[in-house]
Amino acid sequence: MSAKRVILTLVAMCLMAGTATAATLKIGSLSPLTGSYAADGNDIANGTRAAIAAIEKEGGIPGFDKIELFAEDSACDPRQAVAAANKLVNEKVVGVVGAYCSSATIPASETLAEADIPMLTPASTSEKVTERGLPYMFRVCGRDDDQSIAAMKFIKDVLKAKTIFIVDDKTTYSQGLADNVEKLANKEGLKVIAHDHVNQGDKDFSAVLTKIKDAKPDVLYMSLQNSASGALMLIQAKRAGVTAAIIGQDAVYHPQLMEIAKDAAEGMYLTFGYIDEETPSYKKFLAAYEKFGKPGAYSAYAYDAAYSLLSAIKAAKSTDPAKIKAELIKGDMQGASKKIKFQANGESGSNYIIRVVKDGKFANFWDPQTGKKY
Amino acid sequence: MAHLCLTDVSVHFGGLQALTEVSFDLRPGEIVSLIGPNGAGKTTIFNVITGVYKISGGVVAYDGQTISGLRPHHILARGIARTFQNIRLFTAMTALENVMVARHCRTRSGVIGSVLRTGCQRAEERAVRERGMAALDFVGLAAHADAVAKNLPYGLQRRLEIARALGSDPTTILLDEPAAGLNPSESRELMEMIQRIAKTGVNVLLVEHDMSVVMNVSHRVVVLDHGVCICQGAPAEVRSNPAVIEAYLGSETD
Amino acid sequence: MDYLFQQLINGLTLGGVYALVALGYTMVYGIIQLINFAHGEIFAAGGYLGVILLSYMASQGLMDSHPWFGLAFALILAMGYCAMLAMAVEKVAYKPLRQSSRLSVLLSALGMSIFLQNGLMLTQGVYDKAYPTEFTHGGFEWLGVRVSYMQIGILAVTALLLVLLNTLVFKTRIGKAMRATAQDKVMSALVGIHSDKVISTTFAIGAALAAAAGIMVGLYYGSVRYDMGFVPGIKAFAAAVLGGIGNITGAMIGGLIIGMVEILAAAYIPAGGEYKDVFAFVILIGVLYFMPTGIMGENVDDTRV
Ligand SMILES: Nc1ncnc2c1ncn2[C@@H]1O[C@H](COP(=O)(O)OP(=O)(O)OP(=O)(O)O)[C@@H](O)[C@H]1O
Ligand SMILES: [Mg+2]
Repeated sequence: MSAKRVILTLVAMCLMAGTATAATLKIGSLSPLTGSYAADGNDIANGTRAAIAAIEKEGGIPGFDKIELFAEDSACDPRQAVAAANKLVNEKVVGVVGAYCSSATIPASETLAEADIPMLTPASTSEKVTERGLPYMFRVCGRDDDQSIAAMKFIKDVLKAKTIFIVDDKTTYSQGLADNVEKLANKEGLKVIAHDHVNQGDKDFSAVLTKIKDAKPDVLYMSLQNSASGALMLIQAKRAGVTAAIIGQDAVYHPQLMEIAKDAAEGMYLTFGYIDEETPSYKKFLAAYEKFGKPGAYSAYAYDAAYSLLSAIKAAKSTDPAKIKAELIKGDMQGASKKIKFQANGESGSNYIIRVVKDGKFANFWDPQTGKKY
Repeated sequence: MAHLCLTDVSVHFGGLQALTEVSFDLRPGEIVSLIGPNGAGKTTIFNVITGVYKISGGVVAYDGQTISGLRPHHILARGIARTFQNIRLFTAMTALENVMVARHCRTRSGVIGSVLRTGCQRAEERAVRERGMAALDFVGLAAHADAVAKNLPYGLQRRLEIARALGSDPTTILLDEPAAGLNPSESRELMEMIQRIAKTGVNVLLVEHDMSVVMNVSHRVVVLDHGVCICQGAPAEVRSNPAVIEAYLGSETD
Repeated sequence: MDYLFQQLINGLTLGGVYALVALGYTMVYGIIQLINFAHGEIFAAGGYLGVILLSYMASQGLMDSHPWFGLAFALILAMGYCAMLAMAVEKVAYKPLRQSSRLSVLLSALGMSIFLQNGLMLTQGVYDKAYPTEFTHGGFEWLGVRVSYMQIGILAVTALLLVLLNTLVFKTRIGKAMRATAQDKVMSALVGIHSDKVISTTFAIGAALAAAAGIMVGLYYGSVRYDMGFVPGIKAFAAAVLGGIGNITGAMIGGLIIGMVEILAAAYIPAGGEYKDVFAFVILIGVLYFMPTGIMGENVDDTRV
């Protein structure tokens, strides 16, 4: 045989091999891989990758010899999110983990719903996400209304604050939370000194912080949709001499917050879903995630979302969306982030607690359910 | 010694043949005038010599070396400076600065030195300033050194153009209608100045419409018409050449 | 009263940064009438080089023993690096188009901006990079006004650079060459100025100023990100236009005004914080309506570079 023949044969064999083992399970992820939210967005893609690796390590999914991830960039932008969702529809993925910003998740979910593709969001906390009656929309994280209730309970019961200054950066997420807190504060008889807004991507908060320093509120409710912005505000607050207790929320829960703000982050409180880092599930997640670095706010949630999806497919022995949904609802597993038990409306429950930044780490601080400190 | 020599120089702009095989030279110590009706190609020749226009044929040589094809600042560095038919000063700079700028090619310190104001840079700056003042003094503008160029009266702006050209220590200077717009007494002073320039060993190529200036100061005259060199020689010779009278006076009267 | 002074200090700091970046736009525009969109990315590159150098020095303990030396070293190195980067950009993306229409050069500038931003993203990652800021926290309080050393540092470095730039442009040989080239490229070539070199130098100087701004922003705000050049780039460009594009003094004034307006709008106007950019641009439009060439527009030729 000539060399040419050998090569041709090899090529043909490869091609045949390719067609013979076409059983690849395709799933998608949607998250902001570039832009201001790239840190959280990449955590979501990585959490999904970690879950795939974990499932494959456990023997994979019968009938498929490979799980392929299509990680699309939703950029926290409604238009780009829809374009990315369309791409996933074209790739014929059987389920999607994502997206991040509620304002991107909502339109993307409509696109996926047209193709009956299940979507599990690890991070979008807006109430609207699950309240539109989409049959295949699931949420692994908590809800904003629950989150603001937890924050207000803490402000009243523990901080015993009388005055509050609210700042948000005008995203669906941050403004929704800030509005909720303002409403609750008024109801609870707190004095809302002001509810100011900044812009996403702003770097300079000196003007509003000087205002806050002057107004001397007991609490600064800092609703920013990005840990880097949160860090900037903390640094500048420290420099400006702001003494109020600062409360943030899940979107600033990221190691980056302390990396950038360093000692300026010390003592900041934030609301975040309770994660028991002692469970075997969390340890399994940590092992699978190791190669991606330190987990961010949504790494574990994304891992759980993907893990639930893949487990449901495994149990259903099918990629039919109705069967996947049935299995998701039937399932009741201890995930890395929390106990995952989906209800028919797609929610899996909130379990917000108050955390604090202590010695450069997030530490559990107070549980609104029990009213006790950890 | 500086010897400027054009051989069969042709230039065209698209379809327009602006110069056709023009040859003449400017020998050391000479004042040569370039005359011709409007649009004959005189300014084009200046632009060719100073590297502003590319030539399509022929050679321009200076001191026995080809300079056609060199960039304008390199040609200036070889020693050919010029003035402009329409005054083109750096209007926002002072008279002195205008002259100092022209010594760029003769100085060497870079940006870092300029910012840090190193000793060497200061000494150089001082020398440039002195040389600039000398050039201004030569054209009688010393008293106006710190005047902003655009505020100078027209006649003085013309002189400043010459001072700036002299500022680079040229061996040849090209003057494009330096007497344009001057009154008779200013013209006379200019003539005198041109002769003084020539005495310092600088060759002068002069484009001028004022025939009294041309005939008085030139050693030789080159006549151009429609981009063709129709005659060259001593002023008296040229004045009596029938072709010149035909071309030159013919268009002068229209 | 101290509230006002506090806000004025805030505005001055922000304005100083805009002014430094605006100078690069204005100088390049002055000399080749190009809006150098890639300038914001040069600023970002300066910020990144700063974080790389400072983090390294901090890890070696140098920032504890010789913080000022370390800062100066990082500043100078970043300025030098960005100057070279900008010269390379000019050579690759603009110089070949010197004779082309302005639109093609503009597109090339846009392309360069995207290219550099993506380059930063691919080499440095999409995450924010934290600056070592331990030594930037100090400050003092004076009559109720809190001034951080970092603010003083930014203002001092900005003022120093502005003085140096003014000396350079108005007192030196290269400055004269820049002004001459800005006014008349052909003529300046005819008086012996190598215009390519002067243009290249102009890019380098503007970039060095932007790099300094990039480091100071990193130190002041605590982090840098690959897309950090975009917004300040736009603001600084607006500042340059406001001051009269092409005019150096104008760029400084424009930068300070935009910084001040942003801060004062956020400080005094209800809901000013969210619309501060709007105010900045309203001022810009208002000024341009009455003075189409910007604040220092009348004498555009005078200090144009
Ligand atoms: N850059 C150019 N592009 C096109 N045509 C040009 C250019 N420069 C000169 N010309 C043409 O070349 C011819 C010669 O012009 P030039 O300016 O050299 O004449 P001149 O002898 O200096 O006339 P004047 O006495 O009016 O100054 C004219 O027809 C002119 O229109
Ligand atoms: Mg002419």
